[in-house]
Parts: sequence; C-alpha cells; structure tokens
Amino acid sequence: MTLDHELRALGRAVAEPADSQVDDLVGAVLARVADEPVPVARRGVSGWLRERWRALTAGLAGVVVVLALTPPVRAAVADFFGFAGVVVHTTPAGPGPTGPVGAAPGATGTDLASARAAVGFPVRVPGELDEPDGVEVSGDRRVVSMSWGGVRLDQFDGALSPAFAKRAGDVDRVMVGDGQGLWFPGPHEVLVMNRDGSERTETARASGRTLIWQLGTVTLRLEGDLDLARALAIADSVPS
Amino acid sequence: MPLISEDLTDTELVARVRAGDRDAYGLLVRRHAPVAHRTAVLLGAGADAEDVVQEALVKAYRSLGGFRADAPFRPWLLRIVANEARNAHRTASRRVGREVLAARTGGDPEIDRAADPATHAVSSARRDQLHAALLRLSEPDRLVLTCRYLLELDEGETSTVLGWPRGTVKSRLSRAMRRLRTEVGDDA
Repeated sequence: MTLDHELRALGRAVAEPADSQVDDLVGAVLARVADEPVPVARRGVSGWLRERWRALTAGLAGVVVVLALTPPVRAAVADFFGFAGVVVHTTPAGPGPTGPVGAAPGATGTDLASARAAVGFPVRVPGELDEPDGVEVSGDRRVVSMSWGGVRLDQFDGALSPAFAKRAGDVDRVMVGDGQGLWFPGPHEVLVMNRDGSERTETARASGRTLIWQLGTVTLRLEGDLDLARALAIADSVPS
Repeated sequence: MPLISEDLTDTELVARVRAGDRDAYGLLVRRHAPVAHRTAVLLGAGADAEDVVQEALVKAYRSLGGFRADAPFRPWLLRIVANEARNAHRTASRRVGREVLAARTGGDPEIDRAADPATHAVSSARRDQLHAALLRLSEPDRLVLTCRYLLELDEGETSTVLGWPRGTVKSRLSRAMRRLRTEVGDDA
C-alpha cells in the first residue's frame, strides 16, 4: 500500500460522530442562531465590489483625496472597504519608494506588558512568532508596533479615525480567517495621519509587502520579508 | 423535515438559509457534521472537537451573507472549522510544544474506535508510527498532508481551507510527502 493510501486510512480511523451527537449538534447550532439576523446575501455589494475592485481602486486616488477633506464621508469610505483606520490611494504602477522601515512618530521603545497597559485595545502576539524583539508605542498611544528581525506588526484601534494612508500601485483582496484582508504585494508608501485626518507628509516611509486585516475594531498590518502564504499563516495565528 | 430537502444541493440550501429558512441550515449542518468533526480532530482540537465544530457552525451562519454563492460550501466551512480548531489548540497548549499535541491527538481514543474497514488494512502499530511521524513535521507540512490525504480534500479545497495559493499547496505537498517518507524510513 502506498504512503498516501495509508494516510487516507489513518484519516478514516477518526471516529465519526454518533447520530445522537449530530442531532445534538444540529439542535445546539439552530438554537444559537435562532435570534441571529438572517444572513442575507451581500451579493449586490460584494459581488459588484469584487468585479469592480480594480477599476474602483484605480479611480480611488482622486476620490479619496477629495473626500478626505470631509471627515465623515472619508470615514464612510474607509468603512466601506472594511478596514477602519486605513485609506488606500492607488497610484499607477512604477518604481516604489525605497528605504528602511521607519517607526511611528514619537514612538518609544517599551515592553509588551507596558504597551498593553498604555493603549485602550487588546494587543495580540501571533502564535506563529515568538516574543517580539522590539515593542513600541506611538507618541499618541494609538499604535503598538512589534518587530521580529525583518517582520513588523502594527496594531491600532481603527474605530478612532483613519490612522494610516497608503499609496500603492497594486493591492489584492484576500481572505484572512473568515474575514477580508488587503495584500500589498510590492513596495508602497505609508503615511501616518494626524488625528484630524490630515496627512503628515514628514512621516512618509517606504513599506514592503504588507497584509492588512481587522479583528473587532482593531486593525492589524503585518509587513516584512514575507510571501502571502507566510503572511496568512502568521495572521491566522493571531488569537482572536 | 420534508424528505425532498435532503435532495437539495448545498447551493440551494445556502440560498434558502439566506432567504430566512433556518431549517435549511440544519440540513447543511447535518450533511457536513462528520467531515467538520474529522477536520477539528485532525487539526488538533482533540477533546474540544465538539465545541470547536459547534462554534465554527455558528460563525459560519453569521458569515453566510458574505459567502460567494457560486463557491463550494464545504471548503469554505472547513476553513472556518480549521481556524477554530487551531485557535482552540493554541489557547490550550500555546508554546508547550509537540508533546502536548501528541498527548492530545496521538493518544486520542477517537482514533481507535475505527468505523471504516479500510482502516484495518493498516495495522495500528503502523498508524501510530505514521501519526508520530506527522507530529515531527513542521506545521505547514502537517497541515497540507492532513487536508489532502487524511481529510481526502482535493487540491482546490486544500487551497481554500488553508488560505494558500494553489501552487503553494502543490509544492508544499510534494515536499511534505518527501519529508514524511524520510521520517518513517520508507526511502531507505
């Protein structure tokens, strides 16, 4: 018997749940979803979004710059794409910015326990990675950054207001856990924004490959020398 | 429950659930409970498998609005189960190492109440050997072998469940298979 057949046999050796267990499961699940809203298909918006995503983001640069002048509308645009705290500007593909990964403005080095105490949102460490080599809290206590060699993870409460603006030539939508994420496969420019939503151009820095996703109201951005598979594995390992 | 519903495809059942028919979700749960349970056990949920499956099915219901109607339901659901299983496993044994995993799944009584006759074609000593070898592999290697062979998913389904591009599934699979051969000494 070949090894793959033996593996299949090993898989089948897991006992099937008994009929009574399945009955209990069906009952328990239906009881728990009884008061949930009907999961009406979001096809109208999301199907359209998927099809129009590239066209939309291609035209977005001008749109967002204009809307950014009107904070409530700008916030709605950020929420529309599901990533509170991040505004994506796309620019025609071209040579991306280069340079080292910088820190958030006014960031000071600290440790995990102090970072957790300093900010008003849960700070998580991916199970795939060990304790971070470095931990920083931004001057305004909105962003916690951790680093491991060539990898960096920023976490911030996106519900507050847009915190980062990104200019990218290319961006892809991906699944992270059972939610959506944005994958920036190439170098792009990141700006940290002021509380009033204006951009601090002096904070512009180059960013490598980046994955952005959300857990509750916290937005996470993972950046570094990673391919998409590795980035997703790390993202999946962040405790929810 | 009317018998005719049993004949509906997953796609038709999903459409009914989204139209407000909760019983249709009961049918989906019943249909996919066995594979969801195996997925949870094999991805390390161990004794928590039942809770993991229930939690995943509730989350899947809540997320069903965003499910692409033309996509297959099973791998989409199993991805949620897999994430839930890995979270449960991490919570229980974070950074404690492989010994815990071995204790939780290796000595799993679920694996010995074998129902399928094909199982008996492989001796229990050999199953233990394979299982121990799987636990010595890296997590990505173990995940891809578990999805593709132990759970008998195809490459496309494996790609959905693990969230990896299809090419990655293919290359990791052959690499993981080579490593497993080395671990069990089959290439000697």
